[in-house]
Amino acid sequence: MTAEPKSSQFKSAASEALQNPRLQAAMKASGGLAVRRAAAIAEIPEFEAIRDAGRDLKNHTLANLDAYLLAFEEKALESGAKVHWAADAEEARAIILKIVGRHAKGPEGKARVNKGKSMISEEIGLNSALEAAGHHVLETDLGEYIIQLRGEPPSHIIAPAAHVSKPDVEADFRAAHTHLDPERTFPDAASLVHEARHVLREQYFGADVGITGANMLIAETGQGVIVTNEGNGDLSQILPDVHIAVASLEKVIPTLDDASTILRLLARSATGQSLSSYTTFYKGARRQGDLDGPKEMHFVLLDNGRSEMLAGEFREMLRCIRCGACMNNCPVYRAVGGHSYGWVYVGPMGSVLTPNFVGIKEGRHLPNASTFCGRCQEVCPVRIPLPGLMRKLREAEFEQKLSPQTARYGLGVWRWFAKRPALYHRMSSIGMRALNWLSGGHGRLKRLPFGGGWTAHRDFPAPAKRTFMAEWKARKAAKSQGDDQ
Amino acid sequence: MQPAPSAEPAAPNRPKVGLFATCLVDLFRPNVGFAAVELLEAAGCDVDAPEGQTCCGQPAWNSGDRKGAAEVARRMIEVFEPYDYVVLPSGSCGATVKKDYVEILRDDSDWLPRAQALSDKTFELITFLTEIRGVEGVNAQFDGVVTYHDSCSGLRSLGVKDQPRQLLSSVDGLRLREMEDAEVCCGFGGTFCVKYPDISNRMVSNKTDNIAATSADLVLAGDLGCLMNMAGKLSRQGRPVKARHVAEILAGMTDEPAIGEPQRGSEKRK
Amino acid sequence: MSARDKILSKLRAALDEGDATVKARSAAAQARIRTAKQTGPIPKIARTDGMDRVNQFVERAEAVQATVRRIATIEELPGAVSDELRRRNLPAALRMGDDAMLASLDWGAVETSVGPGRLEEPVTLTAAVGGVSETGTLVFRSGPDAPSSLNFLGEAHFVVLRARDIEAGLEGLWRKFRDSGADPRTVNLITGPSRTGDIEQKIELGAHGPVALQIFLIDDY
Repeated sequence: MTAEPKSSQFKSAASEALQNPRLQAAMKASGGLAVRRAAAIAEIPEFEAIRDAGRDLKNHTLANLDAYLLAFEEKALESGAKVHWAADAEEARAIILKIVGRHAKGPEGKARVNKGKSMISEEIGLNSALEAAGHHVLETDLGEYIIQLRGEPPSHIIAPAAHVSKPDVEADFRAAHTHLDPERTFPDAASLVHEARHVLREQYFGADVGITGANMLIAETGQGVIVTNEGNGDLSQILPDVHIAVASLEKVIPTLDDASTILRLLARSATGQSLSSYTTFYKGARRQGDLDGPKEMHFVLLDNGRSEMLAGEFREMLRCIRCGACMNNCPVYRAVGGHSYGWVYVGPMGSVLTPNFVGIKEGRHLPNASTFCGRCQEVCPVRIPLPGLMRKLREAEFEQKLSPQTARYGLGVWRWFAKRPALYHRMSSIGMRALNWLSGGHGRLKRLPFGGGWTAHRDFPAPAKRTFMAEWKARKAAKSQGDDQ
Repeated sequence: MQPAPSAEPAAPNRPKVGLFATCLVDLFRPNVGFAAVELLEAAGCDVDAPEGQTCCGQPAWNSGDRKGAAEVARRMIEVFEPYDYVVLPSGSCGATVKKDYVEILRDDSDWLPRAQALSDKTFELITFLTEIRGVEGVNAQFDGVVTYHDSCSGLRSLGVKDQPRQLLSSVDGLRLREMEDAEVCCGFGGTFCVKYPDISNRMVSNKTDNIAATSADLVLAGDLGCLMNMAGKLSRQGRPVKARHVAEILAGMTDEPAIGEPQRGSEKRK
Repeated sequence: MSARDKILSKLRAALDEGDATVKARSAAAQARIRTAKQTGPIPKIARTDGMDRVNQFVERAEAVQATVRRIATIEELPGAVSDELRRRNLPAALRMGDDAMLASLDWGAVETSVGPGRLEEPVTLTAAVGGVSETGTLVFRSGPDAPSSLNFLGEAHFVVLRARDIEAGLEGLWRKFRDSGADPRTVNLITGPSRTGDIEQKIELGAHGPVALQIFLIDDY
C-alpha cells in the first residue's frame, strides 16, 4: 500500500481550497518561483538547447535503463555501498525497516531516524511505517518539518509547505517547541527559521539512521547525488552511522557530464538559481581515517510502477527531474494548491503520475482538470508533453467508460450531428435562435437552461439570430443571383 | 487539385481559401466570419466557406474520444481538401486541424497522408495574413485603448504572438496597452469551464482583474471561446470593458455590438 | 525470483525490441560511460578564461550572498581570517580538518582546533579543491584531512580557494577528478550559504547550514 489517495475528491477539495483565505494568501505569496525561473533562464541563451539535451539524455537512459542500473549497481557495490531492489512500496518499506531495526540504539529496538526531503518516501508511505514500528522520525527540511508538525502531506514537490502561511507556522512552533520561552516573539520569517535551526541542530547528532532521496544516480561512478538549499540532506546523511538513499529507477543517468546537463536545468527551473546551495556527490561508506560519514551506506532502488510506465504510453513521464516548474506555472495548481490533488504528486506532473500510480478511476479528475493551456509543457526542462499525456489518460478513461454518463451521452449526440452537416446546421440554427430569443435582445443570458456551471459565475453571450453558415449561404445566393442578371 | 463543388473558380494568382468558420463563430459571432472573409479578400484571396463544415472535432479529442474525433476529422479533411489553403479565425481549432489531426489519425494509413497534407495548408487567420500573404498593415480605424489576451493554443501550438500586435499597430487611432499575465490561460478550456466551474471562475477572475487594471476600453483575442468567457465575466462583474475578436477590429467591422452586448442599436462607447 | 530479477525482467520486457537486446543496450551504456563526454551544450558562462574566469567566479559567488576577500598568497590567510573574525564579532577560534597546508600556517592569536564538525561551531575553515566560475561554486572533497561535516556545521563557513583552481564550468571539474584519479567519498559543490524559502517563499539564509560563507581567494592565477 502506498500513501492513501484522496484524488477522487479533487473537485470538492479544490472548491474548498478556493474558499480558504489563508491558503489563497499563501499561494499568492508563492508566486515568486515562476518569476525567478523566468529571470534565471533569460540569463543563459543556450537554455533551449540544454533542454533538448536533457530530453535526449533522459530518453537515451530510459531506452537502456536496465543496462545503466546494472552499471550503477556494479560501481556502487565496488565503493562499498549496499544495493537493494524493491519491486513495490511494500518491499521498499520492508527493506528499510529491516535496516533501521538493525541499527536502533534506543530502548526496545526503537531508532531515531532523520530524514532529508524525499518524494519517494512519501510515495511509499515510509514515515507512517517507521512510526508504526515505534521508531522516531524527524523530517529535517524546514518545509517538511512544518508539515510533519501539522500532520499534513506536502503540497508541492520542492516547497512542501507552500500552502502554509507564516502565522500558521508560528502557531505550529509554539505548540511543538514547548521547552522554549512562551513569551518569545516572531517578528519575521527569519526568526522562525532561526528557531527551527536551533531546535533541529541538536537532533542531527542523536540520530541512528539518516534517510534521504536522491536527485540522480551516476552509473559511471556509483555515486548518489543530493541537491538541497538548506544543507539538511547532507547533515542527515553524514552524521548518523547509517545512510539509506531511496531512489526510483529512473533517477539513474550515465555520466558526470550528463549530470552537468541536469544540474543546469534543475535549479534554474525549480527556484531560479543557477545551482542550488548544496549539490553533493557521495559514494559508499566512510573510509579508513575518515572522521565523519556513515559507516554503512544503502541504496534502495524502487520500481513501484516505473517498469509499467516504461513499457507503455507514459514513458516520457519518466524523464521528470522533479523541479516543480510545471506546478509553479500552472494556473490550476496556483488556484487550488497541492492538497486538492489528493496524493503525493501534484500539479501537472501529478496529474499524469497519480492516475498511473493509484489508477485511472481514483485519479480521473486530475487529467480532466486542465484547460490544456500548455504552459507546463512550455516550462518543462526535459520537454515532457504533459497535456498530451493527460489527454492519453482521458482517452484511457473514455475507453474504460469511466467518464460520467451525461458527458458520454452528450458527446455521442454531438458526434452524430458533427458528421451530418445538413442536420447539424439545421439543428444548430434552431437551437441558437431559441437561445437568442431567451436573451430577449440583451445580448447575454444570466442563466442557461443547461450549463449552470457557466452562468453561476458569468453571463453567457447570446448567440446570433442567424448562424454564419446560414448568412453566408444567403449572401452567396444573393451574389450569384446578382451575377446572373 | 480538384475544384470544390461549391468553390467558385479561382482567379489567376488568387489562392482559393476555404474558411473554416469554427462552430463558435458559426453560432455566436458570425461577424467574425465575415471579418475574416473581408481580411482574406483584401489580402488577395478567393474565399469560400464550404457547407460541409461542422466542428473541428476538438470536443471529442479533448474528452479522450479518439474514435469520435477521427470520424469528424475525416469528414473535415474531405470538406477542405479541395482548397489551396484552409484558414480558421481561431488558434484553438486551428491547432486541432494543423497539429492534432495527424495525431488523431496516426494509425490510419489511408488518412494520415491526407491529414498531413491538410495540416500543411491550414493556418490560423492572423498568421496566414502576415506570414503567408505578407500583410503588414490594415486599413482600419479604432479610436480607443485595447488590450490583447494571448489565447493558449494559438500562442503555444501555433506561435501566435507578435502577428496580431503587428497588424493592430497599423489600426488608425488604436492604442495597445498590455495587461499583466497576458499569456496566462483565461480559464475557458472548452468543457473545463463547466466541469470545473469554481476553478475556471478563479482563473477568469484573475484575467478580468488584469484586463481592468489596464483601463482599456476593449479586450481583444483570437479565439471566441476565450472571448465569450472573458466577456461573460466582465459583464457579470459590471465592468465597462468590451470584448471583440481581433479580426473584427482589423477588418473595421465594429458596427456589430461587442460580444454579449445588446443586439439592437449601435454600440455605446465611453 | 528476487526483486532484482523481477524488476530486470520487467525492464527487459519493456525494452527488448528488434535490435535492442540486453547485449546491445549494455554495449551502448558502456560506450557512453567509457567516452564520458559532455553531451549537452556548454553555455557561454561556462566557457570563460583567464581573469574573466576568476572575476566571473567572484561576481557569481557574491550574487548568491557569499562574500569574497582576495589575498595575494596563502601566507596572508591567517591575517585575513583574524581580521574577518574581528570584523564579524566572532570569537578568535577556528575549527578545521587535519590539513597539512592549513596546519603549516602561523595562526598567531587565533585558536585552532582540529576535527569534524560539532554541535556548536561558530566558525569552520576548509580548503576548497576547486571552484566553478559558471555558478560561483566551491568544490570540496572529503578525506581524513577534510571531514565534510565542517562544510555544514559552522555558523560561518570560511573557505580558502586558489584562483588557479577555478574551472570555467562543471566539465573542467569532472575532467580534473578523472585525470587525477581522485575518487573521494564525498564531493560537495557549495554555492552560497545555506538558505530556505519554506516560509512564504521568502529567502532566508542559514536554514541548517552556515549563515555566512566567506571565501578567501588567493590571487595566484
